[in-house]
Amino acid sequence: MASVRRSRHPAGARDARGPGRRRGSLWRLAAGVAGITLAGSALSACGTSSAATGPVTLNYYLYPDTSGATASAISNCDKQSNGAYTISYQVLPAAADGQRQQLVRRLAAHDNTMDIMGLDVTWEAEFAQAGWLVPWTGTDKAQAEAGTLKPALQTATWKGQLVAVPDNTNTQLLWYRSDLVPTPPTTWVQMIADAEQLAKEGKPHYIEIQGAQYEGGTVWLNTMVSSAGGSILNAAATAPSLGAPAVKALSIMKQLADSPAADPSMSVQMENQNRLAMEAGTAAFELNYPFVYPGMKADNPTLFKDFKWALYPEVVPGVPAKVTIGGIDLAVSAYSQHKDLAFKAALCLRDAQNQLIGATAGGVPPTIASLYDNPALFPDYPMHADILTALENASVRPQTPFYQVVSIDLSHLISPPSGISPARTEQSMVGQINDALQSKGLVP
Amino acid sequence: MSTTTPAVTSTAAAGQPAKHRKAQLSEGARAERRLGFLLCAPAVLVMIAVTAYPVGYAIFLSLERYNFALPQATKFIGFANYGAVLSSPYWWHALVVTLIITVFSVSITLVLGMLLAFVLHRTLFARGLVRTASLIPYGIVTVAAAYSWQYAWTPGQGYLSSMFNNGAPLTSQTEAIIVIVIAEIWKTTPFMGLLLLAGLSLVPEDLQKAARVDGATGWQRFMRITLPLMKPAILVALLFRTLDSFRIFDNIFILTSGNNGTGAVSNLGYDNLFNALNLGIGSTISILIFVCVAIIAVIFILGFGTAAPGMDNVKR
Amino acid sequence: MAAITPARRAGWTTANFVVVALALIPVLWLVSLSFKTPTAVLDPSFIPSQWTWGNYSGILTSSQFLRPLLNSIGIGIISTVIAVLLASMAAYAIARLRFPGKSVLIGMALLIAMFPLIALVTPMFTIERALGLFNTWPGLIIPYVAFGLPLGIYILSAFFREIPWELEKAAKMDGATPFQAFMRVIAPLAAPGMVTTAILVFLACWNDFILAISFTSTISSRTAPAAMEYFSGGSVFTVPTGPIAAAAVVITIPIIIFVLFFQRRIVAGLTSGAVKG
Repeated sequence: MASVRRSRHPAGARDARGPGRRRGSLWRLAAGVAGITLAGSALSACGTSSAATGPVTLNYYLYPDTSGATASAISNCDKQSNGAYTISYQVLPAAADGQRQQLVRRLAAHDNTMDIMGLDVTWEAEFAQAGWLVPWTGTDKAQAEAGTLKPALQTATWKGQLVAVPDNTNTQLLWYRSDLVPTPPTTWVQMIADAEQLAKEGKPHYIEIQGAQYEGGTVWLNTMVSSAGGSILNAAATAPSLGAPAVKALSIMKQLADSPAADPSMSVQMENQNRLAMEAGTAAFELNYPFVYPGMKADNPTLFKDFKWALYPEVVPGVPAKVTIGGIDLAVSAYSQHKDLAFKAALCLRDAQNQLIGATAGGVPPTIASLYDNPALFPDYPMHADILTALENASVRPQTPFYQVVSIDLSHLISPPSGISPARTEQSMVGQINDALQSKGLVP
Repeated sequence: MSTTTPAVTSTAAAGQPAKHRKAQLSEGARAERRLGFLLCAPAVLVMIAVTAYPVGYAIFLSLERYNFALPQATKFIGFANYGAVLSSPYWWHALVVTLIITVFSVSITLVLGMLLAFVLHRTLFARGLVRTASLIPYGIVTVAAAYSWQYAWTPGQGYLSSMFNNGAPLTSQTEAIIVIVIAEIWKTTPFMGLLLLAGLSLVPEDLQKAARVDGATGWQRFMRITLPLMKPAILVALLFRTLDSFRIFDNIFILTSGNNGTGAVSNLGYDNLFNALNLGIGSTISILIFVCVAIIAVIFILGFGTAAPGMDNVKR
Repeated sequence: MAAITPARRAGWTTANFVVVALALIPVLWLVSLSFKTPTAVLDPSFIPSQWTWGNYSGILTSSQFLRPLLNSIGIGIISTVIAVLLASMAAYAIARLRFPGKSVLIGMALLIAMFPLIALVTPMFTIERALGLFNTWPGLIIPYVAFGLPLGIYILSAFFREIPWELEKAAKMDGATPFQAFMRVIAPLAAPGMVTTAILVFLACWNDFILAISFTSTISSRTAPAAMEYFSGGSVFTVPTGPIAAAAVVITIPIIIFVLFFQRRIVAGLTSGAVKG
């Protein structure tokens, strides 16, 4: 192998006529290696797109979508543009943190090759505050807002401006086994009681919830606090709100953690592990996103017959739960060289037709309210009515540029859930959030 | 270390031969210096060009309050970041975790690496197979191996978890650290073994033969001959392994993401740099990691006498 | 040498077996995972309850993985060659020659080896973008060489120091120039050290994740470890265990070949011409 030969006998071994000649052969070797390096970089240049006359190439940065829904949306929009632009799908890492890092790094460097970005709903405050997003105005804004679910629009708003257009969203429902529980519980307290009763009877009884130390934990906390009538931050997002509703939410979470209804692996479980536990038959209740429905259908047809859904349990009896939403919003980069076209393309990528494809093929619920009455949605989403109800009454996560720090602090305080001590945990949260909002101190 | 022009007793008036000799000696010394600089130049150039600005910038950032998402609020604050980090329980906790992992994984790796070096050096047959197999843990991408361990310890899905009653060790701090140490040992024993093997191969065979003739047991031969002669190689291996282990990141990142109190100092730095986008604090943590690592290196080089080439006189 | 008794043979067989087993079990687990269907993943046994080639066919037909694999190999080889070359030159000078500034060089090399990479990523990213090196092969090769040099210099200078000066002196007295002395006498003896260094540098490049993920944006220069970050499962919540395991196995195969080839050189270097005595 060439590399072996080089490392053992560098530079003109056979030529031994003195320093001058040695230097010559060393230069030859250096030239050879430089040549290979250049060839390698030329090879790498093969992958980059060349600027050509004709349609403008818009770079669309999004998580990896293997379902083909994004590819369909892109080809639809390319056709609709009548040659004005072609969208190039630039894949980001699968994990949300990885996506954010890539985007942040390049936006901070004023990278002008990014046009449209698929943002997680929690990033808008941070990105907009840093000046990386272009606000939507005029007809583009009107088109973006028309018929779009209000909570989704809320995630895309910062300081009164619309900085992104909602594409898809997601919300949690209560999934339960009708063979174990004929009538679904309507409140958390009732659900825990039902589960404990099942435990006494020796039947499957776990309540599956995301208790790991990650963003999903913050989502759970936000849902519980909002459903208790409170919020994590005050309206101006300058200080923590928390208070009594938070203490109530935390006590219910603690109650679950201490009861026999808690899955022993709760403190490491994320959405997928919850789904698998439910499919394995060890659980009676599950709080999760609709992706579990096709999963159960495919993996456990027997259990699927008794697999039902209901609205998320209430924290305060009689007050509907406010489930925290997730999803993706499309934004235009402030450094894009084709902003006007990017707006048009983004609007097309998230129009009704493409959102329908995303919902049916891609498994991501749409943000346009009217689609929930579209019969094409029903086969994949028999629970569409409940999803719409949940979405219309949804809560959003705290909107602050320091959201990442706030989320890390919160998720570390509530996981493992058995370590929660409602009053004390609430106090720690207040202290840590205050530090976070002033960018003080360390993140664990 | 200095270059000296050898003392020349004869003066210039002594005649041609003496003058010629003096000129030749300095010429030789100068040529040696020139050659030395020339040979080092490319390496030095590359290292400086790549790292001078980033290292300097990182030091500068540690003196600033700089949040990536709020560039307008950047301010020079002197050593306030250092105060914040050193008074933060998160830093000290991560430091303790790092030291525990380092001490355990390096010491166990040393023993296992020595055993491995012996097997690689002395095994009677299947040398190629054994060498190849034992190098695979080092060659496999760290992240891939970490996934292997993570899936292995997942309750219900992993073979290791099922051996321990379907427990979930990655949830509890102590057990998770043990799992991390095991993953580290598996990954780095080949490196240690390789360095020790190189040292082992330089131990002269005839010394061993002579000792055996004199009636020394295998253990005595190991302790009296092999180990002392391997000391330089052992210290170099220990130095590099300790430096690397202190900066552990990949295994923890994949196995636990640093959750449940298992994060090392590098994970803390990563979180503050890339998640919180706090370049000031993140750079400060990195500088402090560097200081700790430098202290370890100094302890090894000055305290244990690890060979630092170039710091001793050239062997003549 | 003592006679090879059956007891000794059995002893070494056991030792060999233990080493190979401990080294390979986690790898075999990955191989087993790579053949499992998503349902079979849930089963903790080593033998998949349901076999599939789908994980492999999925990644091997996708340029999203093949191209990064090629990048890893190419960038790794080029970086190794350059790093070993430069390190050998510097290590020889440090071990053998007298010139001022040696401790400065060692200190700088150690500083670079010890400085946390995470703090250097952001400024290096800015430089690379400014120079147009972002998302190119040289954009990874140059940092890899820079970070591989300290290790190389350290190991190789230790090797060069162990080689007796007398051999070089003898060659010089026979009329060889310093360079000829190096080539004919020292280099062959240092060859095992060079091979070891080459292996370690190559594996460091192969293994690197943080630079690969930070300095690349498309498959034109992304390397294999970074490519694994882009695998996704059926939904945003599923971890693609099968494809990740398959990718891990595929990434390991070149290493096995590489190691298999090089370990013969190690054996040859160590057993041919003992250095002392």
